Amino acid sequence: MQNNFLIATFIFIFSLTQYSCVPDNKTKRIIVASSGKIESLDPARANTLKSLQLLNSLGDTLYELNSEGELIPELASGMPIFSKDKLQIIINLRKNVLFHDGTVFNSNAIKFSFDRFKRIGTMNYILGNKIKSIETPSEYKIIINLHKPSSSVNGLLTSVYLTPISPTFYEGYSDKFLNDKFIGTGKYILKRFSNEIQIIDPNLNYWGDKPINEGISFIGYSNSTSLFGALKSKQIDVLLSNSIDDSQRNNLSLLSKKKEIKEGTSPATEISFISLRTNSYPLNNLNVRLAIAKSLNRRLLSNKVSYGMRQPSRSLVPPIYKKNNQELWPEYDPIKAKILLQKEGYCNGNILEFPLTYRSNVPADKLIALFWQDDIKNILNDCINIRLNGVESTTIYKNLNLGIYTAVILDWTGPYSDPEAYLTPLLSCSDLDGENCKKGESLYSGSFWGSNKVEKLFLESENLNGKERLAKLIELETIASESIPYIPIWISSQKAWSQNQVSKPIFNGAGIISMSDLEFINE
Amino acid sequence: MSRDLNKLLNYSFLKISLIPLMLWFISTLVFILLRIAPGDPVDAILGSGANELSRELLRYKLGLNESLLTQYFSYINDIVHLNFGESLSTQEPVINIILKSLPASLELGIFSIIFAILIGFPLGYLGLKNKGKKGDYIVRIVGISSYAIPPFWGAILAQIIFSVNLRIFPIGGRFSIIHNQPHITGFLVLDSLLENNIIYLRESLYHLALPSLTLGFLLSGIFSRTLRINLDKTLKSDYVNAAICRGITRRKILLSHALPNALLPIVTISGLTIASLAGGALLFEVTFSWPGIALRLYEAISQRDYTVVQGIVIITSLLIVSLNLFVDIFIALLDPRIEY
Repeated sequence: MQNNFLIATFIFIFSLTQYSCVPDNKTKRIIVASSGKIESLDPARANTLKSLQLLNSLGDTLYELNSEGELIPELASGMPIFSKDKLQIIINLRKNVLFHDGTVFNSNAIKFSFDRFKRIGTMNYILGNKIKSIETPSEYKIIINLHKPSSSVNGLLTSVYLTPISPTFYEGYSDKFLNDKFIGTGKYILKRFSNEIQIIDPNLNYWGDKPINEGISFIGYSNSTSLFGALKSKQIDVLLSNSIDDSQRNNLSLLSKKKEIKEGTSPATEISFISLRTNSYPLNNLNVRLAIAKSLNRRLLSNKVSYGMRQPSRSLVPPIYKKNNQELWPEYDPIKAKILLQKEGYCNGNILEFPLTYRSNVPADKLIALFWQDDIKNILNDCINIRLNGVESTTIYKNLNLGIYTAVILDWTGPYSDPEAYLTPLLSCSDLDGENCKKGESLYSGSFWGSNKVEKLFLESENLNGKERLAKLIELETIASESIPYIPIWISSQKAWSQNQVSKPIFNGAGIISMSDLEFINE
Repeated sequence: MSRDLNKLLNYSFLKISLIPLMLWFISTLVFILLRIAPGDPVDAILGSGANELSRELLRYKLGLNESLLTQYFSYINDIVHLNFGESLSTQEPVINIILKSLPASLELGIFSIIFAILIGFPLGYLGLKNKGKKGDYIVRIVGISSYAIPPFWGAILAQIIFSVNLRIFPIGGRFSIIHNQPHITGFLVLDSLLENNIIYLRESLYHLALPSLTLGFLLSGIFSRTLRINLDKTLKSDYVNAAICRGITRRKILLSHALPNALLPIVTISGLTIASLAGGALLFEVTFSWPGIALRLYEAISQRDYTVVQGIVIITSLLIVSLNLFVDIFIALLDPRIEY
C-alpha cells in the first residue's frame, strides 16, 4: 500500500515537472513542416520539391503559372514577344525591383543567373538545345536567342531553376554553389538556414503584394510518422505532403472532411507509369504489350494503394497542361487482354512470364506491383504470371538505359510547366532503327521506343503555339499510345494540410504553395 | 616505472601503431564497396529524366570519369593529408558535414548511456536484493524486454505516447525552431552552459529528453542484467565471506568491495556501447529526426555521395578504435589482475 502510494506520488511529481519543462514555443511565424532536409538553396543545385518550394518564396521567376495553367508575368512586365522567324524572344522587365541585398534587378541579373545555371546547374539539361544566348540590349529588356523555334520555352521561363539571383552577391560563386544563403527578389528574405530548419521573413521592400503573414518557419522531419504526429499534436501549423505515406494522407483527408484541419490540393503534376522495354522478348510484340496494358486495373490500384487519392490516368501529360482530360492510352479490358494473349499463343498452359521491377524504396510502387500481381492471379492466372523484383531507385536509374528491366514502375514530374517536359523525356529519340531507339531520351526511360513520326511532330510543335501546338502534341501522344511503350497508371497532386487557425494552403499551377497567402485566422 | 605500466605502454603503442593500417584497410574497403554498388552520384542527383550528355558532363565535373586507380590514389593521398574533400552533391567540405553531425550523435549516445546506467543499475541491484521474489522477476522481465524491443518500434511507440498523445515532448529535431541554436562545440547542452543561457539549456534538454530516455531505457536491460549477475558472483566470493567474518557492515562490503569488482565488466560494456553509438543510432536518428552522423551517412549512401560516406566511415572508425583503446587502458589501470 505504502509502495503504491510512493509510486503514484513519484509519477505525479514527474508529470508535473515534465509539464513545467515544456517550453512556450508560441511564434508569430507559421510553422510549415515537410519531409527531409534542404541541402542547398542554390537554384543551380536545388532539386527537391521542398527546396524549390522555399526558393519560390525567396525569389521570383520571369513568369508564373496560375492554377488554370496560364502564364502570368512576374519579373517580366508583359508577355514574351516572339520574333517573326521565332528565333528570338523579347522580354521587357519590371522596373524598381530590388534584390534582398539592395542591388537593382535588371537584364544583367537575368543573364548572369541564366549563364550560371547553364554552366554549373545540375539540372541544366532542362535547357536542352533550346537557348543559344541571352542579350541585354537595355537595362530592362532581354532578348533570348534560340537555336531553333521553340514554343516550349514559355514553360521554361516559369522554372524555379532560372530564378534570378543578385550578380553582386554571387560574384564569388559564379562557378560554385552557395548552399546556405539566397539573395533573390522574392516576397521573403532568408533569416536563418540550416539543413533542418529554415526561417524566412517578409521582404519589406518587395515590389508587389507583400505577404500577409509575419514569416514562415520551415522544419524537416525525417519520417512520415513524425510529420503526421506533429500535425495531429499541433506542433506544426502546415504540413506539406511530399513523401508522406498514402495511409496517412488518407487519414489527414478524413480529418479535413470532419473539419478538424484544412486541406489544399495542387493541380496533378506527377505521373506514374510502367515503362515497357519494347526492343526485346516478350514485349517486342505489340499484342503482348497491349494485352498487358489492358490487364491493368487503374481504378482498383488507385483505391487499394492510394485510397482513391491518386487519379487513374491514361495519359502521359497531366490535364492542366493539356487543357482537357483526354485519355489516349489503352483502357482496362481483361477479356480483350485474354483474347490478345491467346492470339499470341499464350494461356491454356503456356503462361507469359512477365518480370516487373519496382523501386523498393518507394512504398507506393511496391503496393502497385503487389496488387497488380494479385489481380492478374484472379483474372488471368492461366495467361500471365507477374514476377516481382524490388530494386533501389538509384540502381534502377543507373540500369534503365542498359535494358536490364523488362518492365519497371516509375514516376515523373516535369521540371517546367509544359506538356513537352513530360513527352520529350519519355518519347524523344535521336537515333532510330525502325521503332527501336538506339540513342536518346527514351533509352533513359527504359522503353527503347521511338518513332520518326513522333520526332517530326516534336519539331513541328516547336513552331506552333496555343491550340495548334497542343493538337500536335496530342497527335504525337496518340501515335505513342498505339505502340504502348508505357502504361500510364495515375497522376498525383501535392497536398497540404493546415490547422484550423491557419488559412487553407493554396497551390499554383506548378504545384507550389503560395506561402505569402498563409495567415493565422480566428475561427 | 613499474613492469606492469611498461607492459601497458607497449600494448598501447602496438595498438596505436596498428591504427593507420586499419584505417587504410577500412578506407580501401569503403572505396571498393561504394564503386561496386550499382548507381553513382550522377544517377542519384539527376534521376531518370536526364539525357546521356548531361550525365556525362556531370560525371566529368565530379571527377568520376577518371580511372578507378587514379580516383583511389587521389583519395588516399587526400586522406593522408587529412583532406576529406567536398560532398559530391553539395560541394560542402566533408569535414564540416562531420563536425555538424557527429556531436549530435555523441550527445545522444552519452545521455543515453547515462540514462541506461541510471535505470539499469538500480533495477539490477533491486533484482538481486529481492532474489527469487516477485520483484526480481519483474526486474528480469523489464530487463529482458528492454533489449528485446526493436529500437525503431520502441522509438515510434515513445513518440506516439509522449509526443502525440500526451504532448509532453517534441516530436523530433534537436533544438527549438524559435531560438537560434548555439554554435560553439556542437554539443548543444554544453554550448548552452558555455553561453550561460538557461533558455538554450532548457530547449536542448527538452529535445534531447525523449530520444535519450528511450534509448537509455532500451540499453538499460544490458546494464541491469550484467550488474545483477556480476554482483551476485562477487557477493559469493571468498573475500566477501572473509569480510563478513571480520564483522564489516554489509553496506561497506557492498560499496567498497563487491561493487567496484562487479563494475569492471560494465566498464567494458559501457565502452563498447559508447563506441557503437559514436557511429550513431540510425533508427533512432531517423525516427526522432535527430541530425546525427548515422542519419547523414544513410542519406549520403542513398545519394551515392562517395566522399561523404568515405569521410564519415573513416572518422567514426577512428573514433571507435580510439574508444576501444581507451577502455582497454582504463580497465588495465582499474584492475591490476589484467595483463597485456
